[in-house]
Amino acid sequence: MRTITFAIDRFDGSRSWTQSFAFDHVPGMTVLACLIRIRETQDPSLNFTASCRSAICGACAVRVNGNAVLACDTMLDDLLEEWGQDTLRIAPLGNFTVISDLVVNWDEKIERLRLARPGLHARAEFSASGGCRQSPRDFQAIQKQWDCILCGACASECNKLADSRADFLEPFTFTHASRYARDSRSADSMLHVNGMLDNGLWKCVHCMECATKCPKHIQPVEDIASMRGMATAGGRTDGPGPRHAQAFRTDLENTGRLNEVKLVPRTEGLLSAATRRLPFTLRMFARGKLGVGEAIHLFFADNRPVEGIDGLRKIIRQRRRDH
Amino acid sequence: MTRKYAFFPGCVLDAAAREARDATQAVAARLGIELVEIPGWTCCGASHVQDIDRETALAANARNLALAERMGLDVLTACSTCALMLRTARAELKNGRKSAVNEALAEAGLEYRGTADVTHLLWVLADTAAEWAPKVRKPLSGVRVAPFYGCHTVRPPEIMTHESHLNPRSMETVIAACGAQPVTIPERLKCCGFHAVFPAESTAHNMTASAADSARKEGADCLLTPCPLCHMQLDMYQPDARATTGKGGDTPVLHLAQLVGLAVGVERERLGLSRHIVSPAPLLSKC
Repeated sequence: MRTITFAIDRFDGSRSWTQSFAFDHVPGMTVLACLIRIRETQDPSLNFTASCRSAICGACAVRVNGNAVLACDTMLDDLLEEWGQDTLRIAPLGNFTVISDLVVNWDEKIERLRLARPGLHARAEFSASGGCRQSPRDFQAIQKQWDCILCGACASECNKLADSRADFLEPFTFTHASRYARDSRSADSMLHVNGMLDNGLWKCVHCMECATKCPKHIQPVEDIASMRGMATAGGRTDGPGPRHAQAFRTDLENTGRLNEVKLVPRTEGLLSAATRRLPFTLRMFARGKLGVGEAIHLFFADNRPVEGIDGLRKIIRQRRRDH
Repeated sequence: MTRKYAFFPGCVLDAAAREARDATQAVAARLGIELVEIPGWTCCGASHVQDIDRETALAANARNLALAERMGLDVLTACSTCALMLRTARAELKNGRKSAVNEALAEAGLEYRGTADVTHLLWVLADTAAEWAPKVRKPLSGVRVAPFYGCHTVRPPEIMTHESHLNPRSMETVIAACGAQPVTIPERLKCCGFHAVFPAESTAHNMTASAADSARKEGADCLLTPCPLCHMQLDMYQPDARATTGKGGDTPVLHLAQLVGLAVGVERERLGLSRHIVSPAPLLSKC
């Protein structure tokens, strides 16, 4: 009989340890079924949360070999094939405070979720008696975001959160803000976007872990992108994030290629480029990453436009006309 | 082997990471891979433009793909973010945007048909390792290499479908084919911080320092990345990362093509190894 081992991270409130549980392999089991079997047959003190067993309550997310999964929606056999080994490391979600074993604290996350101002603040034309209707097409635009079950998987491996929770939010919070900001019934989209702007909207590092881990295939990184677009369109263009993105767009339209020499001044301002970034620039010159003459040319002139630049500009203009 | 691709260098291979372009072209020539640069290619948007102007980013990449299709070739890029942007555009065009975008492309006499695949130098080298490994003239025995995949090489998996995003092996395959020894570090599949180096500078520095420090602690001679953006962050910003964190600072970072170039005997001066901020001299003394 094939033996499977779960090496589970344990925590009793003060002490941490890893405990291995071996059990016979039975085809067709979910990770949650394995955890339940361990608790029922080996150690009743093993603590984890679970409820629906149908991937709709979001209670059972855990990490397997460092990657968040919904335990009830993940087949053990798929993991064994993926990792090519019969021992799997089971741990609580990352970027959460652990309460006990695989149980994490949601209280602080829910408090942070309030920054998204979740809840529909409807336009004046809607009323309690007349209702608050939207077209199927408008609902479709935000339907995916409503699939969020608050399982926390998107936050577990978020690289930005892993570095600092002080200046960034859990990806699901951005998704919740986005679904109200983009709701055709909302009176003021920026009501939801502003809180995100003040809490790291431009600090996402694009690690794509949120989009990769969501069991409902929501892409919080796309929600972040859409709110960046809304903020920019609404005139909130100050700061290195929006200026950096704008610099790329400017170059794309002007010549088709990035002008690296103008990128820093456009992003941070000329003074910062000339002073704070000076050691960096000198390092680039010293190692031949950038030539002095080349830098002067790129700063005062630009890249030569790519072949077919007129066609590119026509294409971009046409897409803007359509939108 | 003889393979022919429409080459999409991406902006940084024409600028700060010029050595990656030189190494890529030299290695391709040595291994019988023909790279024909796409005439008139433009910036892919670099994972930034789409945030403020989704239509411009999509249209520019549709144009890039249409230009490659006109050459009758699949696209090869040596940049993971370029690969992600091009493949994302391809997916969007396939999922309902094709006719609208083609109306715009028609104004420049172009049409996107969806015939060209987009691949990465890493994937080609890994898939053909058994073919080119016999061409290794200087096996890098004793050289310990810590692969740093870079986020956009493997994520999101719906777009970057080449291999498992949880447990990829392509970098290890290439390293082993070069005769070197792969060294696993905790940051192997983590972010380098490049895409937020301005708005989240301390985070980017922490990420860079952490990877460089882990590589040193594990006894690696260098970090290796298939993405020039990761390389820029890990190499160019490593002194800044050290200044703010006290970690890292002396870990060389090689482009994927540079390692392969060393192994298959490409002349060192053609690999641009002197252009790195963190000198790879200690590593080169072992090659």
